[in-house]
Amino acid sequence: MLIGSRTLALLVILSAAALVAIDARSAPPSASRSLDDYKHFRIASIDLLGRMPTREEIASFEEPNFDLDRWIDGHLGGPAYAERLTRVYMDLLRLEPNLNFSTGPAQLFRQEILDSSGKATFVYFRAGQRRAREATDAEFCLTPDESGLTVRANAPTVGTPKRVSARVLEAATTLVRPWWLYRDYPDPHPQARYGESWAQPDPEYRPVETLLLDRDGKPTEEVRVCLEEAARNGEGHIFASGRSKTPPPGTPLPPGRIKPAPVDTAYARDHKGETVPCETKLAAIASVDCGCGVGLERCMPNDGIVQGNAFYFPNHMPLGSGLPLDSVKQQAQRWFPYWWSREAVHFLDHLFTDDRDFREILTGKETWVNGPLSQFYKTIQRGNCCGPEAGFGMLEEREPLFLPSNVPADLRPQDVSEWRLVQDRGPHAAGILTMPMFLEKYASARARGAVLYNAFLCKSFTAGNAALGPSDEPNLMKRPGCQSCHTSLEPLAAYFARVEPGSFVFLPESLFPAKNSKCKKDKNGHLSGLCNPLYDVAFADDGGAVLRSAYGSLSHADATPAGAAVDITSSPEFAACATQRVASSFLGRATTTDDTKLLDSLTRTFVTSGYRMRPLVAGILRSAEYRKANNAP
Amino acid sequence: MSRSRWAFSGARAAVCLLLIGCVTAPRESILAGPEAPIAPLGSAPLDTTPKTDLRMVPPEVYLRTYLRLFGGLAPTDAQKAARGAQGGALFDSWDDYVSALGFPDYRLDIPRQAQTNAFMIATFERLGVALCDRAVEHDLRARPPLPVEQRLLFAFDLPPGIVDRAAFDPRFDVLHRTFLGYPAALAPSERVPRFFQLFREISSLHPQASPKSKFTSAEAGWAAVCYGLVRHPEFQLY
Repeated sequence: MLIGSRTLALLVILSAAALVAIDARSAPPSASRSLDDYKHFRIASIDLLGRMPTREEIASFEEPNFDLDRWIDGHLGGPAYAERLTRVYMDLLRLEPNLNFSTGPAQLFRQEILDSSGKATFVYFRAGQRRAREATDAEFCLTPDESGLTVRANAPTVGTPKRVSARVLEAATTLVRPWWLYRDYPDPHPQARYGESWAQPDPEYRPVETLLLDRDGKPTEEVRVCLEEAARNGEGHIFASGRSKTPPPGTPLPPGRIKPAPVDTAYARDHKGETVPCETKLAAIASVDCGCGVGLERCMPNDGIVQGNAFYFPNHMPLGSGLPLDSVKQQAQRWFPYWWSREAVHFLDHLFTDDRDFREILTGKETWVNGPLSQFYKTIQRGNCCGPEAGFGMLEEREPLFLPSNVPADLRPQDVSEWRLVQDRGPHAAGILTMPMFLEKYASARARGAVLYNAFLCKSFTAGNAALGPSDEPNLMKRPGCQSCHTSLEPLAAYFARVEPGSFVFLPESLFPAKNSKCKKDKNGHLSGLCNPLYDVAFADDGGAVLRSAYGSLSHADATPAGAAVDITSSPEFAACATQRVASSFLGRATTTDDTKLLDSLTRTFVTSGYRMRPLVAGILRSAEYRKANNAP
Repeated sequence: MSRSRWAFSGARAAVCLLLIGCVTAPRESILAGPEAPIAPLGSAPLDTTPKTDLRMVPPEVYLRTYLRLFGGLAPTDAQKAARGAQGGALFDSWDDYVSALGFPDYRLDIPRQAQTNAFMIATFERLGVALCDRAVEHDLRARPPLPVEQRLLFAFDLPPGIVDRAAFDPRFDVLHRTFLGYPAALAPSERVPRFFQLFREISSLHPQASPKSKFTSAEAGWAAVCYGLVRHPEFQLY
């Protein structure tokens, strides 16, 4: 009996101790909180914290002095709030690159050869690089006779490597300490190598191992580069070889060549010896003394002969770049598109975090750049121009959408985590509309116009019962069956006529008038080869031809994307559409006519607050509709 | 007369009566309205609020919550911890789950999933089991025992001996709040008894489990409760 009492007492003590342990975490439900209150707090946490509430937050919510209004205000503006709103517009615009983007002219490939000692070594080169030596002009800098290898564009190399003599190798190549290996690559004698004396590189900057190690597994100290690619000049010269005609078939090839050497273009003949800025596309195709610049900073390394890898970065990071789900080797050509997307996300995040005027999503002059974007806007983007534009006197971009002079000068390509605000990209900047990510994602003028119409005016192009009869009418605003949509679409598309499709080269009005009297049809009804790439023969007459995509409205073409931004944001549908987009996302359902009263009220709040999202979201979170968003019986 | 003949005659008579009724019934007419006004019995306001069912928790929210429950780890660290020494037996990789969870893929213009599907539910299940099992190891099997405030999910001590309702309820409430965001006392009345039944059945059947589990009976019981809550529709919907 005595033992039983002791046991009972012990059990009571143990139970009490256990309950004490539990008490700290398991509180009885607050008498003043209903199940609906708890659910409201949970959905508000999901929307404002980006996660479900913790036990501690629920305990705080149960306190009698908990003020939900103050709690909502306190979390409007946090990172999860900004991420929540960014998600609304990223879902609409999907500003991430697909797999087909390429930055083109800046790609630096590499070929493995045997040096004079028989050691395997890589030689970096650019495809199509012009060289003064006829045997290697527009080819790899070592001939098949010299290396035993036939290096072909976009195809595997063939042949059996043989030792390249030291004399030949020194004559055709040189050693460089490149930007991807050395933090201090601009110095005459760089020393701060990745992972060694540059001991704490940015954790998000991770070159692939194949760029860090030599063939024998030793750390790469220097890379061997074809001499022309290693040139560091800022300005080069137009090169003319003197070859004016392709030799007839059957003509013996010059020693070492596998195909005829390139002939001079008319432009090269006419402008031989003239200076050319080395960042431009013209320099890449018409000079022999414009290389990849100091530390090869104008070029992107590939670890292969075709498309190779360059850096590790995530494929998936739905919680932001700080919480990636993975980190994988990526092709060099994806490096800059990846950062274009991050630029757009940064821009949106700051728009919402700082509660700026939402119209700036389309009209803002500012943006955010990091090291790779700084490298891109300073040098790489200039390599996009100029080809057909040169015939109109534009050898390099005259009015780029992002002026290179406005890029922070001290950011280095390796500064991937350091983001800087650029207050003004240039006179043509217009929010996301002039960012590479938007312009590449929506490559044509019509695609750009259509996404604006849908995302920011909440309208879509749906033809009625249109019958598409045969027609040769080029003007889609007139063609039966097309006109119902294209009457709206073509004028919108015209705003983007000055930004080349699939690119972001800007065609200034001074050189490319919307209707160009110099571009007339010839007797066969064709435009000259000069005009044809940029002007539309379908809209040419005796007075000249119209810039491609501009026929919907010549004045819109001259207004540029910045004009589209003003037009869209001043439209009466803009504020109502933004309200509807955000309300629909927070309510978790499409809005209906039953929501008209709420939407009208929210739109008034949004407009009177100066198009700020914070008052709009606060209004949604406090509405009865939000509280009862999941109210099905 | 036999019973069957009586039955046959009766049926024949019924058919005849029916036919006569059809022929002779007066023609029906439908009045345009009630003959007299219908007196109201009461009044109720018309609820015009749009009705919407529960929506899916955005995958970003699911993932962020999952990581927090896992101890606030980064995704790659959580993946490493979840895989542990067992490799893919308990957890594959985020890359395997990312599309199943309903994330959009902006690169390929794949929109986010707004509704659950069988593949997604299976993924929730696999992720949930990994979370609960690792939490049992972390919270309940740590030696020396972890202080309650350092435990991730099971923020309570296991009671000695057989667990009855009095011991079960407050501990279940901790888990209920953790996963579903409100006290178990506000849940439908059958929820706590059903979870208690689940706990008891798993605990009692556990010794017979084959192959042998590394968990004790009580640990297996609490793990099962955890599985039930992490896979509960209220966890994935809001």
